[in-house]
Amino acid sequence: MKIRNKKISPRYIILTIVILLVIILIIFSKTLKEDRKLNTVESLLKDAVTFGEKIILTPFNYIGSLVDDFNNLKDVRKENDSLKNNIDRIEAIETENIELRREIEALKEELDIDFVLTDYEKLNATVLSRNIGYWYNTLTIDKGTYNGVEKDMVVVNSTGLIGKVIKTTTFTADVRLITTSDTNNKISVSISNGENKLNGLIKSYSYEENKLEVEGISNTEKVNIGDKVYTSGLGGVFPSGILIGSVDSITTDEYDLAKLIKVTPSADFDDINYVTILKRKDKTK
Amino acid sequence: MIIAIISVIISFLLDNFLSNITSYSLNSPSLFSTIYTLVILVVLFPYFNNQKKYIILSLITAIFFDIAYTSTFLLNIVIFTIIYFIVKKLNFILPNNLLMANITSLVSIFLYHIITFVILNIVNYNDYTIILLVNILLHSILATVIYTTVMYFILEKIYNIFNIKQIK
Repeated sequence: MKIRNKKISPRYIILTIVILLVIILIIFSKTLKEDRKLNTVESLLKDAVTFGEKIILTPFNYIGSLVDDFNNLKDVRKENDSLKNNIDRIEAIETENIELRREIEALKEELDIDFVLTDYEKLNATVLSRNIGYWYNTLTIDKGTYNGVEKDMVVVNSTGLIGKVIKTTTFTADVRLITTSDTNNKISVSISNGENKLNGLIKSYSYEENKLEVEGISNTEKVNIGDKVYTSGLGGVFPSGILIGSVDSITTDEYDLAKLIKVTPSADFDDINYVTILKRKDKTK
Repeated sequence: MIIAIISVIISFLLDNFLSNITSYSLNSPSLFSTIYTLVILVVLFPYFNNQKKYIILSLITAIFFDIAYTSTFLLNIVIFTIIYFIVKKLNFILPNNLLMANITSLVSIFLYHIITFVILNIVNYNDYTIILLVNILLHSILATVIYTTVMYFILEKIYNIFNIKQIK
């Protein structure tokens, strides 16, 4: 039998590679979507791997926390004195809180606002891993749907806004950081300049400068360097009043109509170990 | 094979552990941040005579990397597969020594970042700049070289102790 040794033309090879690339990109355009829900198998595997890692890494993390504790001990006396002074003020603060809560309720009714920051339950979580693979700008935390965590819940820490939950499994959740230059996820912000509040949008994030870029504030408005930037509550995802950062520099757009404001984030995104998830309280309860 | 699996698991855990103590953020990556799982797969390549076993190990690792670390589907499988073919080619051309292991590791890590950068920029509305990519690549060099060198010697020693030349 004669075997014919056919040579494949380079044109067909290139065509096949191009078709393969297109198919892969089409698949990725579906699978890499931020709002893609993890399927049951993915969810189970992720929980299993995370659980296994947690057990194995516990001794190492314990040693790490011991070192941290030892370092913190140096400041204990100073902190203790400061806390003793604060104890005397607690009663006064509690009375003030009750009064403020009443005022908030009255203002909410007057302004027809459904939710403010105090309407959120706080759930603390530990960060399991930070942005492995670099390009995803996410954190994985140890709380999931079992703890009532849902997609789009807001994540903060003691220094300010961190991001929002984008994916959940039963025992973990992925948090997308606000330091993500994503044109599809603009955050509505308000800048407090001492006299009034100005509303704008976080347009993007500059990785080179570590600055958030805010747009949409008229050039006639007054903004000062150092003014605090908070979430405005518009858009429905982020409640109002969460600190984002402070104004670092102010320029104008190419038409001289609006300000372009660079904001230094208040949170240190390189050092996040614990976060708080804001769970909206059920109003029907 | 067990030694290979254990070293992959250790590297996989190291990726997680180090992400919590060093900076893995895009704007200020640490000098000790690389993809340790990928580096170990490259270092292990010359020990595998049985390519089928190596491919299975790589694919399973990629699946776990996809699910546990990046919450993506197929992305790391595709990247790890592309890198497998490059590593295979490089190992065919280059001799098996420490210098070549380091070169192959660096090429793999660079490819990983470049492919991820291109794909995410095309399909995910992110606007990552070339400067950012170069910064990440430069910051990966030190950790990649150190880890490749350390694991090269450790694996060589272990395989010598057990008198294993190649995994069949």
